This record gives sequence, structure tokens and C-alpha cells, in this order.
Amino acid sequence: MPVDLRETRLPGVGVKYAFRTATGGRLAIIIHNDGQREIYFYRRASDDEPTAVIELHDDEARQLGAVIGGAYERPKIVEELELALGELQIEWVDVPDTSPAIGRTLAELGLRAKTGVTVIAILREPEPVSGAQPGDVIQQGDTLVAVGKAGQFAEFRRLLAHGPFEP
Amino acid sequence: MTLAELAITVGLLGALGLVARRFGLSAIPAYLLAGLLLGPNEPTQLALISPSEVTEFVAQLGLVFLLFFLGLEFSLERLSRSGRHFGLGGTVDLVANAGVGLIVGVAAFGTTSAALVLAACIYVSSSAIAVKGLTDFRRLGDDETDLILAVLVFEDIAIAFMLGFAAAGGGGAPETLVLVAKALLFITAGVAASRWLARPLDRLLDRLSLEFFLLAVFGFLVATAALAEELGLSEAIGALMAGIVLSETSIRDQIEERFFSFRDIFAALFFFVFGLSIDVSALGDVGWIVAIAVIATLFGKIGAGWIAGRLGGFTSRQGFNAGVALVAHGEFTIILAQIASGNSSIDADARTDLVAFAGLYVLVTATVGIVLMKESKRLGRILFPIRRLAPET
Repeated sequence: MPVDLRETRLPGVGVKYAFRTATGGRLAIIIHNDGQREIYFYRRASDDEPTAVIELHDDEARQLGAVIGGAYERPKIVEELELALGELQIEWVDVPDTSPAIGRTLAELGLRAKTGVTVIAILREPEPVSGAQPGDVIQQGDTLVAVGKAGQFAEFRRLLAHGPFEP
Repeated sequence: MTLAELAITVGLLGALGLVARRFGLSAIPAYLLAGLLLGPNEPTQLALISPSEVTEFVAQLGLVFLLFFLGLEFSLERLSRSGRHFGLGGTVDLVANAGVGLIVGVAAFGTTSAALVLAACIYVSSSAIAVKGLTDFRRLGDDETDLILAVLVFEDIAIAFMLGFAAAGGGGAPETLVLVAKALLFITAGVAASRWLARPLDRLLDRLSLEFFLLAVFGFLVATAALAEELGLSEAIGALMAGIVLSETSIRDQIEERFFSFRDIFAALFFFVFGLSIDVSALGDVGWIVAIAVIATLFGKIGAGWIAGRLGGFTSRQGFNAGVALVAHGEFTIILAQIASGNSSIDADARTDLVAFAGLYVLVTATVGIVLMKESKRLGRILFPIRRLAPET
């Protein structure tokens, strides 16, 4: 059901968004010009005193918005999901900050030759690398998306963390 | 005014402001009270500071900043989005309260221009106090808040047109017409400039470092105010126009952010300096005007809020809440009286009375208004009990 969201400008204060909830209550969200947010909840739409008022700073409001919007489901998947593809698995492997692999290309590392695991993509800010090429350089903070057999990942992680790699 | 006197002044302003805040009241009456206490008029026990060129100048800066910020809010695009209550609610409030004000004004000063200024003083509610009350008492989420804020914007615009008259109007019909025409021309030029000058100004100010950005904006503001003063209009109109010109630029938010603290300090001093000139012993002269005006305001504002509310589709309680929020008077009443006090076409005695009236009237309505506002929902439940609907079958 589409939500009937009403936007009103409050001169000198900010913007107000209000809508009725399916359970008969009313929600009003005020975004102040200074970034402060307020959420007013009226248990019944006709109540003249709010049942609850929540005040949030800008960063808290963004965090809350992301949680409610479902954005936080994804990183969890990225960390933990192990997808079975027959015998093969896809894993998300964080590059340790101390890794000797940082600053080298995938070709130089030779991870596939040594462990059998193939790097297929690199997640990094701001732009992830889809379809990793031999010439791509590993950077600090990268997360590697890798395909391999279940038993090969332990060696892959060890090698990534400690090397050794040829100079 | 010496540095030591300024230190005492600012100390007292801060202390009284904190006390007012502790009791949930607006700081504006507190600043006026500080001026009243330290000023040369009755009561004289604490008389420490007398109005001088320095205090006048500081107050002038406060006035300029207050109107500059009003102008910044005035962009055409924002006004066009201020919603459905703007025309209807604003008109009901204008007819009711400017009417009530005019009756009180004529009763006090006869059919003079002082009566017109008094009417405007009674008409215009305090945006600052209303917004503070709505925020403090958690009313921003209420539906009727839209109506209250729309009415306040309408009042601000109406007052912008009144400023020119208060500053110099009232000599004779031709002079007044010329003046009104000049003021209209000046404001129109400002609005036009905000359309055409926004881009170049943007590019220019964007490239400046912070130090020069502040200087450039401040210089522009003061120059526009001075120009308006030279033209025989009030510096207030100039400052308002400077705000309007910059209201369409993309650096508007940045200007607000950087000049907020300047405005707050100088506006506090503006109200303080105004307080210096309030003479409590004039209570005998203007006491009855204040009393009638306060009662008229209670009926006028609450009535207008209720009518505008009912016409706008609100319940009686919501309309009552809206009206109560408009009872408090503040910055604009003081600004109008301050500007009129320099208008030589108004009788000198009437000017003194206007200043005393505005000060006392704001002290009373700002306090009564905020107390009523705090209790308005409880009062509303008593005044407008819910009628039971026939049970559904």
C-alpha cells in the first residue's frame, strides 16, 4: 500500500513529513534547518498530545534511517554468506591492513596458481571492481570476492595475510 | 558606554536570559527588562547606562541584523511553497487584528499616524517567541502548526510594507505617498535583484576565503542599509532588501550559519537598548492603552486563530491552539516602535508613548502568551469538550 506522505514547509524551522500509519496512529517527522530531527508519534491520529517524541542528531537520524531502510542487512551478508555452488564456494575475504599483498597486482601475487582460489571482484570505496583483472592492484581496506573449493580458503587467507610473495 | 559597562550589560543579559529560559519564557522580555533596570528612567536604583551614540549604534546594528535575517527567509520560491493556509489564515488574522489594533490606536492617539503604527504593533505577533514555544512544548508535529507558521509569514510580509511608513510616513498625504512609492520601488528592486543578481553574486562570494566572505557580506548589508537611509527610507528596509537579494543564492545557508551569532548578540543588545528608553513612570499615561491592547489582543488573536482554523478544516481545539500561539508579541512590535521613534512627522509625545507602550505591551503579552500556550491544550479540552457521537450500529 503506498503511504500518503504529506510534506509541509515550516518557515524558520525546517520541513515536516507526516503520514497515517496502518494501525491508526500518526507520525510526523521534522527535519530542522540545523539538521536536528524530531519524530512525533500520536497513538491515535486525533490525539492532541504526542505519545512519544524522539529527538535525533543528524548522524543518528541517518543511522536510524539506514537501519529501518534495511541497508544494514547487506554488510552482514557480505561478511558471512557462504554460497554453495556445487563444490565451489564464494567467500568475501577482507585484506588485512598488514598484508604484504597490498600494493601488488593480482598477477604478481599469483594467488590462483598457489591456492586454486580465483579473485573475481574487489569491493572497495567508492567504486567496487567487478570482474577483477590480473593488472588490478590490491589496496588497503579491500575486500576480495573469491571463488574456490572449501578446503582451499584457509591457505588463501594465510597467504593473503602473511605471504610470502616474490618481490 | 565603556567596556566595563558593556561587560555588566552582557552579564545581566546572560543572567536574565538564563532565568527566562529556566521558566520556559522567551529571552526577548528578559532583555527588555534588563534595559529597563539599567536605564536612566524609573526605577533609578540601578541606573547605570544612559542612551548614547554608542548604544544607539549598537542597537542599529541589531536592527539591521534582525531584518537581514528576515529578508533571507523571503525567497519567492520558498513563499510560493508556504502552503494552503497562507492566504486564508493570513487574511483572517490581518482583518481581525489590524482592525482591533486600529480601534485601540484611534482611541489612544486619535486619527494620526501614531494610531496606525500602534495598530501595526498590535497586529504583528512574534515569530521568534511562537517558534520557540512550538519547539519547546513539542507542538511541531501538530497539524495546526502549519497554520500558525503560515500566518506568521503573512504577518512578516505585511510588516515589511509597514516599515517604510513607520520610519518617515505621516507628514502629509503627498509626502507619504512618495515615501510609500519609494519603499515599494526599493523592495521591488530587491526582489528583482534576487532574481538576476543571484548567479553573479554566487560566483563572486563562492571564490572568497572565509575572512573576505564575512567582510563582503557584511559590507553589502551595511551599504544597502546606508543607501536606504540616505534615500529617506529606514535602514531597516535596506537590511531587509540585502537579505532578500541574497536569499536566492546558493550560499544563503552558509550566510545564515556564519552570521547567526552576530545576529543573536546584536539583537540582544538591540532589545536591551530599547529597554533603556522605556519609562515605567509613563505607566500612568499608557497603562490603560496597554491594558486595553492586551485584552483586545487576547480576543483578536485567539478569535482569529479559531476562525482561521475552522475555515481551514481544523477542530475547535486546534484553532484555539493556533490562536494562543499568536498572542505573544515581540521583535516586530519593538522594531516598529523603535523605527517610529525616529520619525519626526509623528508628534514627540506620541513617540514617547509609543516606545513605552511597545515595551510594556511586549513584556506582558510575551509572558502571558507563552504561559497560555503551555496550557492551551488543557484549556482547549475544558473549553471544547468532545461531543459524543451517536454510537455506530
